Amino acid sequence: MSLPPLVEPAAELTKEEVVRYSRHLIIPEVGMVGQKRLKNAKVLVIGAGGLGSPALLYLAAAGVGTLGIVEFDEVDESNLQRQVIHGQSDIGRPKGESARDSIREINPLVEVKLYQLRLDSSNALDIFRDYDLILDGTDNFATRYLVNDAAVLLGKPYVWGSIFRFEGQASVFWADAPGGQGLQYRDLYPEPPPPGMVPSCAEGGVLGVLCASIGSIMVTEAIKLITGIGEPLLGRLVVYDALEMSYRTIKIRRDPTGDPITELIDYAEFCGAVSDDAATAAADSTITARELKEMIDSGKDFALIDVREPNEYEIVRIPGSILIPKDRILSGEALSELPQDKPLVLHCKSGQRSAEALAALHKAGFRDAVHVGGGVLAWAKQVDPSLPVY
Amino acid sequence: MVTVRYFAAARAAAGLPSERVDIGDDATVADALDAIAARHGVELHKVLGACSFLVDSVAVRDRAMPLRPGAELDVLPPFAGG
Repeated sequence: MSLPPLVEPAAELTKEEVVRYSRHLIIPEVGMVGQKRLKNAKVLVIGAGGLGSPALLYLAAAGVGTLGIVEFDEVDESNLQRQVIHGQSDIGRPKGESARDSIREINPLVEVKLYQLRLDSSNALDIFRDYDLILDGTDNFATRYLVNDAAVLLGKPYVWGSIFRFEGQASVFWADAPGGQGLQYRDLYPEPPPPGMVPSCAEGGVLGVLCASIGSIMVTEAIKLITGIGEPLLGRLVVYDALEMSYRTIKIRRDPTGDPITELIDYAEFCGAVSDDAATAAADSTITARELKEMIDSGKDFALIDVREPNEYEIVRIPGSILIPKDRILSGEALSELPQDKPLVLHCKSGQRSAEALAALHKAGFRDAVHVGGGVLAWAKQVDPSLPVY
Repeated sequence: MVTVRYFAAARAAAGLPSERVDIGDDATVADALDAIAARHGVELHKVLGACSFLVDSVAVRDRAMPLRPGAELDVLPPFAGG
């Protein structure tokens, strides 16, 4: 089912705009009126990262008149494998500013508004209010539920995309859509997954070009919504598999038993950064990377267990560590491999997985086990800056 | 008999995109999940812990919900990467 155009057309296109957008103008479904709608459109992109990079570039090139960018982070070298809006000379710069400069080069007619802050429950509604459409390209569940709930409260449509390794998902959510077609993210994922069960791209990796595959679906949907053409993804989820090279579509319907959203909540708490068990276990059993170094230097007898995955162990490791992936500890399978006669020190990449494993070890009777807060990243930063980080 | 469709990590763990599962006429979503976990082992069992489930396109909130014969059950692991 189609939807009416989201945006009224601008009064006119200049001669310069007619030249620039001519390949759009000669498509009957877009034409002058569609391009004028794009010119008048205000689109907010949350995150100038993997999905935000291609999305912003194509929205700008397409002639969306106003682009808002919410991004607090800075460009890191490890971003450049997929975040194509940023370049080598942008490393260390705020991503928002880097994205704005790229957009100016692609299309100087676009007005860019930067929000260099972390989106949270105190600012989301004020930022969203000025926009016709939102694109969600964030990288964590807490912000995903926040974006959904803020969009629901304001009656705004948004385009949603998410990626992991070789797979992506995309859809359009709009609780207030006309014709009773309304649907939101919670109709697809009513509750966040248990903390620690779903790896992030930083933990599990992502094929760089996947960002373009999903980002381009998101921009396609944005253009369709703004101009009112075609069949929007509202009520459908696209699941893309790059290895199979397949797109599967799932129909989604509104959940009639869903609780209405009445206010924004504490999303970090809602999604749980780590499980309660892990937080409790880590509370008085966390050492710093420097303390680990002191333990090693003083010749203390202990076992250092790296609970990451083998491919991560290949990238960088702390000298003397033994690899036992977290899942093998949680399942109990690896308990018999652990030394019983000396203290255990666990670590992972950043401290979340090792906290989960620590909780399991405390329960299994390894009461003295501790973990390294900040993991191998903290080790590389505080103890051995010559090591690569990822 | 219901049709179960697996996506992303659930597809990888089950080793196939969809299958028909023979469960009783008054079986619930929980029964169907037990049946597929038993069939495909620990890998799928782990993935199911994080999944969202859609029955005939509507998200499941109560796993005690009965499944109509011929229902479609989608098994959908979430991911939040961007």
